[in-house]
Formats: sequence, structure tokens, C-alpha cells
Amino acid sequence: MKKPVLIGIALLASQAAWAQANTVSPPGRLLASNCFQCHGTNGRAVGGFERLAGESSKEIAGELKEMKAKTGEGGIMRIHALGYTDAQIKAIGDYFATQTSR
Amino acid sequence: MIDSRRKFLGSLGLGALGMLPLSQVLAATNAWIPSTTNPATVPGNLGISGRVVVIGGGMAGATVAKYLRIWGGAGLQVTLIERESSYNSNIMSNLVLNGSMTMGSLSFSYDLLRKNYGVNVVTGDVSAIDAVGKKVILKSGSSIAFDRLVVAPGIEFETIAGLETAASQNLAPHAWKAGPQTTLLRNQIKAMRRGGVFLMSIPKAPFRCPPGPYERACLVADWLKKNNPGSKVIVLDENPGIIAEPVNFGKAFTVTHAGVIDYRPGTSILSIDTATKTVNTSAGQIKADVMNPIPAQRAGAIITSSGLANVGGRWAGVDVLSYESAVAPGIHVIGDSAATTQPKAGHIANQEAKVCADAIIRAFKGLAPDPAPVTNSACYSPITATTASWLTAVFAYDPTTKTMKSVPGAFGEADKPSTKNMDQMKKWFTNLMTDSFA
Repeated sequence: MKKPVLIGIALLASQAAWAQANTVSPPGRLLASNCFQCHGTNGRAVGGFERLAGESSKEIAGELKEMKAKTGEGGIMRIHALGYTDAQIKAIGDYFATQTSR
Repeated sequence: MIDSRRKFLGSLGLGALGMLPLSQVLAATNAWIPSTTNPATVPGNLGISGRVVVIGGGMAGATVAKYLRIWGGAGLQVTLIERESSYNSNIMSNLVLNGSMTMGSLSFSYDLLRKNYGVNVVTGDVSAIDAVGKKVILKSGSSIAFDRLVVAPGIEFETIAGLETAASQNLAPHAWKAGPQTTLLRNQIKAMRRGGVFLMSIPKAPFRCPPGPYERACLVADWLKKNNPGSKVIVLDENPGIIAEPVNFGKAFTVTHAGVIDYRPGTSILSIDTATKTVNTSAGQIKADVMNPIPAQRAGAIITSSGLANVGGRWAGVDVLSYESAVAPGIHVIGDSAATTQPKAGHIANQEAKVCADAIIRAFKGLAPDPAPVTNSACYSPITATTASWLTAVFAYDPTTKTMKSVPGAFGEADKPSTKNMDQMKKWFTNLMTDSFA
């Protein structure tokens, strides 16, 4: 009888460790940090570029996908947007949606 | 903004400056950090306890120190060791050569890393890394213990024959590490005789900032055209052709600055005689009035002296998932010293620093690094005093080759230089420096 209980506790402990581990590097954060150089730490841009913090995920993903779809135009953001898959773009948008603009 | 702030300080006079609290004096150096910047917060203890020491306070070192704190939380102690009391930005420093800026306006202090993020900034020179005892030894004799170490010392220069002494180096400054040499070169260009020859050279890749030398040739040519008509810019390139932004620089060399820039690919400098201002090249002797040879480069001295330069004895091999050294566990190398497929430049050094910070934080929790990191490079290059081009690339981890691979389609340069790009360049620089230093 004792053994299963111990296993149960071990499972719980490992699940707790996993939950804690997950908070150390939230999904999308490292990917989204590619935007920080121009759009500010956590999307709080300074000096005139668009602020991404607090925008909805849909808005950000929509803009990036629109840029990717444009042909014949070679703007820096269009070329840049082509570097990310749609799944990565969604993760980036989700991350900025969790940030506050101030 | 920069001008008014400098004027304000100037009007105070040195005596008044000396009475200001140190933080205000230091803040005066951060002319590009907007006062409206809202810094990120350092969260409380996230269950990560450890000591990370960072060697080198350039773009990579400053960024990793900041992100270790805002992502790692208050339990992670971060010490940044830097030789200089402030950072001179290499980015934009070619604009000092045409008088658009001064080096003073490109100076960044470590004050905000201290104040906003609690980074322990130590001004000191590192003499050795004790990888076994896990401590960094300073030239002062003191040592700083670490659990993990990040080494970001930038680049070191090879010596060009004939330029062994400091005096001879001042007669042919490379100005490829922004600072006093940049101002010196600016003054030499200004004082050049009428119709003189400015000669610069580009070393074999890899070197710091691939578009930089071509940008410099353009800006010097642009300034000379207006201020010293009849003078020439000779560009000796050890590479077989223009290695960055070939479309824009190609057009700049053959159209925009035609008749001023004389570009000679596949040509290297063998030696320089500063007494006669003669440059001995692989294609014969050239007389010049102002000499600006950019020497070949390798990783910062601490990389070679600590045995971390396992790639050709010149650069540090790393695992690009974490930037952990290929030869020393627990020691990470980021920025220009690392041997990767990515360019040696400030914008991407900032992103390498974030990948490294994230991997270190995970490692303290016993977790593997992000298996699919993405990094990016973006930069603007002035072609004249009022127009600029740009270059961008996105890199993604390729598990087969274990390298960062340029994502197809996501690599390119501007269609043409424009004044709008020049304006964008200032916004880019403002955000990049704020993300790295504030």
C-alpha cells in the first residue's frame, strides 16, 4: 500500500516542479524579444517606433501576416516578418498581449 | 535633444558639474536614452539563486546583465566587469567622421543598469579566468566568484607591420573601436591637404560590422566632395568584393560617389611606412595623406588567454542554443568573440545575449535551453550625410547542422537609400541602445 502513495507524491512533486519551471521562461517571450531592439523592452517602444505592449495578439499577428503576404514591396518589416512562421507569429502576439503599455 | 542637453551642461561649467551628484553627471552621457523610458521591473525571487559574472560591457554584455535580472529575478546576482567607466558606441560612430556627431554624444553609462536592474557594475580589468575554482581574477588582485560566467570582450586587432607603436598607430588610426581614435581620424580628415588621398582598408571577413567599412567610405567621400573637392577615397578590400549590401554600396561606389571612391577589391596591406605615408599593398605602393587601415580581427584577449579560442585559435566556439563554450562548461561567450554563422554586430549581439540569458536561467532550474531559438539582425547604413540604406536578416536554429541558419526570404537590403531610412536609423538606434543599456 505504501509504494503507490509514494509514487503519487513523487508524481505530484514532479508536476509541481514542471509548473514552476514553466514560469521561468514563459512561452513566446524569447521569440518576442527579437522585437525589443526596435520596439522596446517588452514592447514599450521609445523614440517613435510602434509600441507593441498591450496590443491584442490578433492585431499583431494580423499585421505581420499582412506584411508577409505583400508582394513586390521590400520594406524592412516585410523582409523581417518572413523570418517567422505563423505559429511563431502567434506566440509573439500572445506574449505582447500580456504586457502593459505603461 | 542631444544638443540642448550638451549646451546645458556646457553652460554649467566644469566647477558646477563637479558639485552635481554623480548619477546626474553620468546620466548626461546617455543622450540617446529618452527620459520617457519606462524600465522593466526585476521580479522578486523566482526560486533561482546563483551568481553570474559578465566580462565586458558592450552591446552583448550590457544586454545579458539586464535580461538576467529582469528574467531571472532578484535571486540571481549579476556582476558586470568592465574596464571603462562608460561605453562608446561603435554604431553611428562613422557619423563622427563627417562631423554629424561627436563621440561625446555616443557615450553610454552603466548607471541605469545599476539603478534600474540592480546589476553590480565593477570597473576593473580582468587578468584571468579560473574555470576550476569558478572565479574571475582582476588585475587589482581581487577575485569575483561565479556559478556561471558570460564572456563578452568584443574584438582584438592584429598588428599591421609598421604600426607596432602607439605613436605610429595614431598616424594611421583604424578607429574600429569607437573612442579617441574616431575623433583623431575626424581631425585628420578635416586637416587633409587640398586634393589629398584618404586611404582605408577592409580586412578579410569575419570582422566587426560587415557594412561598416563600406558605410565609412561613403560618408568620408560625401564629406570630401563638399569640403575638399578633388580629393580621393581609396578603398582596399582584402575580400573579393563588397561583402554587405552589395546593391546599395555597389551603386554608391559607382554612381553616387563616382570619381571620388576608388574601390580595389582583392587587395591587402602588407606594411605601412608612416614616415613617408606609404602603404605597401599586394598590388604595389600607394602614397596617401590620411591612412585608415582596419586591421584583421580576433576575439578579445581574455578568450585566447583562457583557452576559449578553439576555432582557428581566433574565435570562441559555442553551442548556439545557450552560447555555452564548446570547451568550458558553465562559461558562455556572446557577441563578436563567438564563432557563429551570425554577423559580428551590435543588434544581433543584443539578441544572442537574450538567448544566452534565457538558457542560463533555465540551466539554474535544471532545464534544457529553448530548442528552437531565433535571432535577428537589422542595421541602417548612411550612404550620404542625409540618406541611409538598411540590411536585415533572421536566423533560426538548424538542428541538423547545429547552427543558426539565415531564414530564406528573410534576408535583404533596402531598394535604395533614402532620407526616410536616415530618420528610421535614429529611431532604431534609440530603441536598441535603450534595450541594451536602460
